[in-house]
Amino acid sequence: MLSSIPYTELRELARKDDCIQYELFFGPNFPGMHGNFGYILDVAGSTILRVRPNPGLLHRGFEKLMEQKLWFQNLSLIPRICVVDPDPNEVAYCGAIEKILGAEIPERAKFIRTITLEMSRMTSLLMGMGALGGMMGLYTVMYRMMDDREGLLSLFEWLTGARIYHIYNLPGGVRRDIPDGWTEKLEDVLKQLESNIVEWDRLMFENPVVQKRLSGIGPLTQEQAVNWGIGGPSLRATGFKADTRKDDPYAAYPYLDFEVPAVGGGDALARAVQVREEYILAISLIRQALKKLPEGPFKLDTGNPLKFIVPKGDAYNRVESSKGEYAYHVVSNGDLKPYRVSVRGPSLPGGLALCHEHLPGMLIDDVAIWMASLAICPPDFDR
Amino acid sequence: MTRNALVERIEAETGIESRPRYSNQIEASVPRERIISFLSFLKTIGFEHLSNITAIDWIQDSTMEVVYNVWSYSERIHITVKSPVPRGNPVSFTCMGLWPQGRVYEQELHEMFGISFQGNPTQGPLFLHNWKDIPPLRKDFDTEEYSRRAYGYLEEEQ
Amino acid sequence: MRKNFFSPYATWKNFFKKPTTTRYPKEDITFFDKPGASPTYRGMHTNDHELCIGCGTCEDICPTSAITSPGKKGVVPVIDYGRCCFCGFCVDVCTSRSLSMSRDYIYTIESPPELQADDEVDMKYNSFLIKPDSTHEENPGHQTPDEDSWLDLIRTPMEEIPAEERIKSFREFVKGFTREQAFKEASRCVECGVCEETCPAKMEIPKYIRAVWEDDLEKAVDIMYNTNPLPGICGRICTHKCETVCSISLRGEPVAIRWLKRYAVDMLEDDKYRELMKKEIPENGGTAAIVGSGPSGLSAAYYLRLAGYKVTIFEALPQAGGMMRVGVPKYRLPHEAIDRDIDYILSLGIEIKLNTRVGKDITLEKLHDQYDAVYISTGLHLGRKLGFEAEKLPFVAQAIDLLRKVTLGEAVEVPEKVIVIGGGNVAMDISRTMARLQLEKYGKVGVTTLSLESEEELPCDLEEFIESREEGVTVMPSYGPKDILMEGDKVTGAEFIRCLSVFDSQGRFSPKFDEQEKITLQADMVIESIGQASDVSFIPEDLLEKLEKTERRTIKVDENQQTSLPWLFAGGDLTSGPDAITGIADGHRAAKGIDEFLRSRK
Repeated sequence: MLSSIPYTELRELARKDDCIQYELFFGPNFPGMHGNFGYILDVAGSTILRVRPNPGLLHRGFEKLMEQKLWFQNLSLIPRICVVDPDPNEVAYCGAIEKILGAEIPERAKFIRTITLEMSRMTSLLMGMGALGGMMGLYTVMYRMMDDREGLLSLFEWLTGARIYHIYNLPGGVRRDIPDGWTEKLEDVLKQLESNIVEWDRLMFENPVVQKRLSGIGPLTQEQAVNWGIGGPSLRATGFKADTRKDDPYAAYPYLDFEVPAVGGGDALARAVQVREEYILAISLIRQALKKLPEGPFKLDTGNPLKFIVPKGDAYNRVESSKGEYAYHVVSNGDLKPYRVSVRGPSLPGGLALCHEHLPGMLIDDVAIWMASLAICPPDFDR
Repeated sequence: MTRNALVERIEAETGIESRPRYSNQIEASVPRERIISFLSFLKTIGFEHLSNITAIDWIQDSTMEVVYNVWSYSERIHITVKSPVPRGNPVSFTCMGLWPQGRVYEQELHEMFGISFQGNPTQGPLFLHNWKDIPPLRKDFDTEEYSRRAYGYLEEEQ
Repeated sequence: MRKNFFSPYATWKNFFKKPTTTRYPKEDITFFDKPGASPTYRGMHTNDHELCIGCGTCEDICPTSAITSPGKKGVVPVIDYGRCCFCGFCVDVCTSRSLSMSRDYIYTIESPPELQADDEVDMKYNSFLIKPDSTHEENPGHQTPDEDSWLDLIRTPMEEIPAEERIKSFREFVKGFTREQAFKEASRCVECGVCEETCPAKMEIPKYIRAVWEDDLEKAVDIMYNTNPLPGICGRICTHKCETVCSISLRGEPVAIRWLKRYAVDMLEDDKYRELMKKEIPENGGTAAIVGSGPSGLSAAYYLRLAGYKVTIFEALPQAGGMMRVGVPKYRLPHEAIDRDIDYILSLGIEIKLNTRVGKDITLEKLHDQYDAVYISTGLHLGRKLGFEAEKLPFVAQAIDLLRKVTLGEAVEVPEKVIVIGGGNVAMDISRTMARLQLEKYGKVGVTTLSLESEEELPCDLEEFIESREEGVTVMPSYGPKDILMEGDKVTGAEFIRCLSVFDSQGRFSPKFDEQEKITLQADMVIESIGQASDVSFIPEDLLEKLEKTERRTIKVDENQQTSLPWLFAGGDLTSGPDAITGIADGHRAAKGIDEFLRSRK
C-alpha cells in the first residue's frame, strides 16, 4: 500500500461505523470532476479506503503527433494541451527552440509575451477560484468569475484573433503587434477586475463557512511538497518561496520588480488565499510591463517556415503557469521535424501520485475540493 | 555554489563528467548501473525537485535514453541526466525510493516505450486501454498503418 | 484580507449594472467599437479568385491537412472545415494576398426538404468541403499585410565588382554565391511549381532548388541535365522567365533561380561532374547531322547521343558555341564556362567539324545522303539594316558583326566617339564592349546609345540598362534615326528626331515621330543594332521552295520541330526565340522528334 495510513487500520475505522464497502466511480461523468478523468475509489460509508486513478480518456497522442509535423505546424497543436491556460505551453515550446538556436528575441516581444502570460494566468486563476467555489456549492462565485473572464478573453480576441487558443507565440517572437487602443482597454478591464476583488473577499475568502470547509483538506508540508514535485501556487502556499519567474527567469521578468507571495499553512484554505495573492500580483505585473513597453520589432526573421530547421541538440525549458511548472523537453536531430517533444504537465504529481497519499482516509465530499485546490487539470498529463 | 563548482564536485565524488550548457543548466551522461546512486548523490547536494522523467528512442543507434530532469531550488541550477539503455533489453532501475512521483513517470515510460524499471510494482497500463500492439512512442510504430489496420477508415472515404 | 466599513455595501454597485447573459453573437456587444467578433478574428476564409494563382503553399503549411488544391496547379484551394482548426497559418503564408479570414463564424447546413422528415437520415454530404470565395468579403477579419508575412521576401544580394573596377577589363563581374548565401536563397522557395510550367524547357526547378538546399549538388546537376545540357551557361545569361513569374515576386523579390543554378554547376567538383557524365549509351546505328553548334544544336546533339545515335555537328566558325560565344560579351559569359559545358557534352562521343560551312564546304543534299536526319539551327547572325546611304561605309557597322570580331580576337576599330542605334540587349552589349575598349585605348568612354522606345518600354533587361549607365554609357531613349551624315568616306555623325510612340493602338510596330525636335550628334562610328535576321542561303532554292513558311516568313515547324520535308528538322533562333533556353527546349524536342521519326520508318 502506498498511503501512510495502513489499509487494515482504515478497514477498522470503517467497520466501527458498520458501513458496507463498495466501489465508486468518481468521474469521468461527474459534475465535480474537472475534465475527463476518473478515480476508482474503494469506499466504506463515506471514507475512502483505496484509490486507483483512471487516466487516459483525454489522451490525444500529442507527443507522437508532434514528431510528424514541421516545427511551425506544431504551434497549432500546442495550446490544445491545456485548455485553461494555453499561453505557457506556447512560450515553453518556443523558448526551447530559441534555446537550441541560441537566439535572443527582441525586447518588445519579451514584454508582449509577459503581458499575455500574465493575462492568461489571470483567466486561469479566475477559473480556478470559481471552480473551487463551485465544488463547495457556491456557484455564485463561479458565474461571476466567468463574467470577469469575458473581459480578458475579449482582449485576447482583439490581440490574437481567437479567445482561447491564441496561437500567438512563434519561435523568435510574437505573431502580430499590439493594435491601437488595446492598452487603454486593458487598463479599463484591469480597473474593473481590481474593483471586484472586494466582492470575492466578502463572498469567499472572508466567508466563515468557506473557511471552515476548506481548512484541513490535503495538508502538505514544505518538504513533502518539494519531494512530491508539486510546484506553483500549491508549493508557495506551504510557505516555500520558489517561483520560476524569479529563479529561472524568461521573457521580461528580469526587468520587473516584484515579491513572490508565500502564504503559509499548506492546506486547501492556504492554497485558496495564495491564489488570491497571485491574482493581485498578476495585475501589478501587467501594469509594470505596460509602463515599460519598449518600441521595436516584435519578431526575429526566421525565414520560410516550410524550410525551417533547428540544429542538432536538446533543451529543457520551464515556465511558471497558474497550476504549477510547465516544462518542455525538445530534442532535435537537425531535421525539419522535431525528434522528440516531451511535455511535463504540472498536474501529474498531484493527480496521479499524491492521490495515493491524501485520498485514503478522506471523505468523498472533499475529493472535488481537494482536486480544485491543487489545480489538477487532466489534459496536461493525458496529453 | 556556482555552476562550475558543482561540476567539479560531481566529478570529484562520482567520477561522472558533466558539462555546463545554456545559462544555468548542466548535462551529464551516466551508465545504467550507476544511475540510482548518482541520483541519490544529487539529492544530497541540493537537487531536490524531480521535474520530469522521459525517454528518447534512438533507433539508428539501437539504444533508448532515459532522461531525468532535476532542479535545485537552493542552487538554482538544473541538471539533465541521460542514461542509455539497450533497445533489445530495455531494463533500468526505479527511483521510487528517492521521489515518490517517479513511480508514475516510470509506469508511463513502460507503457509508451517498453522500458521496465526493476523495483517498480506498477508496470501495467496507464493511459492506453486494451492496447495490444508495440509500445506506441517507439520509432518503428507507424500511426497511419495502425489506423488503417484497426479502423479501416480509408476504405470508407470517398 | 482587508475589511472596511463599506464592504457590505460593495455589492450595491451591481444594482445598476446590466446583467451579463450570453447573447446571440451578432447583437450589441460593442467591445471593439463595432458589434460582433473582433476586427482580427479568425473566422471563415475568403479567397479572391482574381489574385489566387493556385500555388498550393497554403496546402503545404496547413497543420491538419485541411486544404486540398486539386491538381495543385492553378486551381483555387478547397478547405475541409471538419479538419480546419482556424489557426490562420494559410493566410500568413499566402503568396498572392488572396486568402484571408473574415469575422463570420456561423455556418449552417440545411438538409434538403425531402430528408427533413426522416429521423435517421444518413447524410453523406460533402457539406464540410467549401471552396472559399468572396462570400464573406464584407466582413474582414484576420489579414496578413506584407510586413507580417511569414515568407522570406527579401532576396540575398549578389555581389558584383563595382563599375569603376569592372570596366577596366572583360572579366566576369558577377561573383557568385557562397554556401551560406545559396542556402539562404534556396530556403526562400515554397516549391509551388509555377516556374516549372513557365520555363520553355520545363526544367524541374523546385526539385533542384531543394537539392541545393540539402547541399546535394550532384543530385541538383543531375536533375538539371534531364532537361537542359547547358546549365552553366543558362546559370549566367538565361532570360529567367521563371523568376518573372515566381510566386514570391508577387509580394517581394523572386527567388534567384539563375544564380542558384550557377552555384550548383560551379561548386560541384570536377571528378563528381565527370562521373555524372559517364552514361551508358545503347548504340542503335542511326546517324544525324546538326548544322550549327549554338545552344539548340548542342542540346539536340546531347539528347540524340543519349538515345544512341551517332551525331556530327557542323560549325562554320572556328569555335563552337554559336551566339553564346560570339554574341554575348566575355564579361557576362566567360569562355571558360562555355568550354566547360561544351566539353562535357562532347565527352559523350559527339563529333564536331569546325570551320565547315554548310552550303560552301558541304551541301545540304550531301548531308541528306550521308545522314538519316538533319537538324538545322543556324540562328540569327545577320543584322538588319536601316537603309541609309552611309551604310556602305566601313565605319557604319552591325552590332552582331562587331561582337563576333571582338570575341574571335580579330582587330576592331575603336574610335573616340561612337553612336549605337537600338535599345535591346545586343545594343547594350555592344555599348559596354565599346566602352571597355575605349577606356583601354583613350582613357575615357564616349558611347551614346539611342533607342526608339521610351525608358519604361526599353526591351533590354533592367540590369543591363542600369549597369551600362554605371559604366559611363549615355543612354537616350525616345529618339529615332533620321540620317547618318558622312563626308566623303568618313562618318561624321547622325541626326535623330524625337519618337513619340512606338506601337499603335493594336500593338503593331508603327512609330510616330516629331520632325521638329531634331538633334545632331557627332561621332566617328555608328553601330546599328535594330534587329537580327537569319541566313538561309545554305538551303538550295528548290528545297527552300518546298519548305512551308509561317506568316512572318520563317520556316514552319510542328511540335516535334519537323518541317514539311520529313528528314529536315529546324529549331532555335531560326524558328522561335530569340532566347537560349527556347533554343535548348527546341533542340530537346527535335531530338525526340528525330527519334520517333526514325523509329517509325523502320
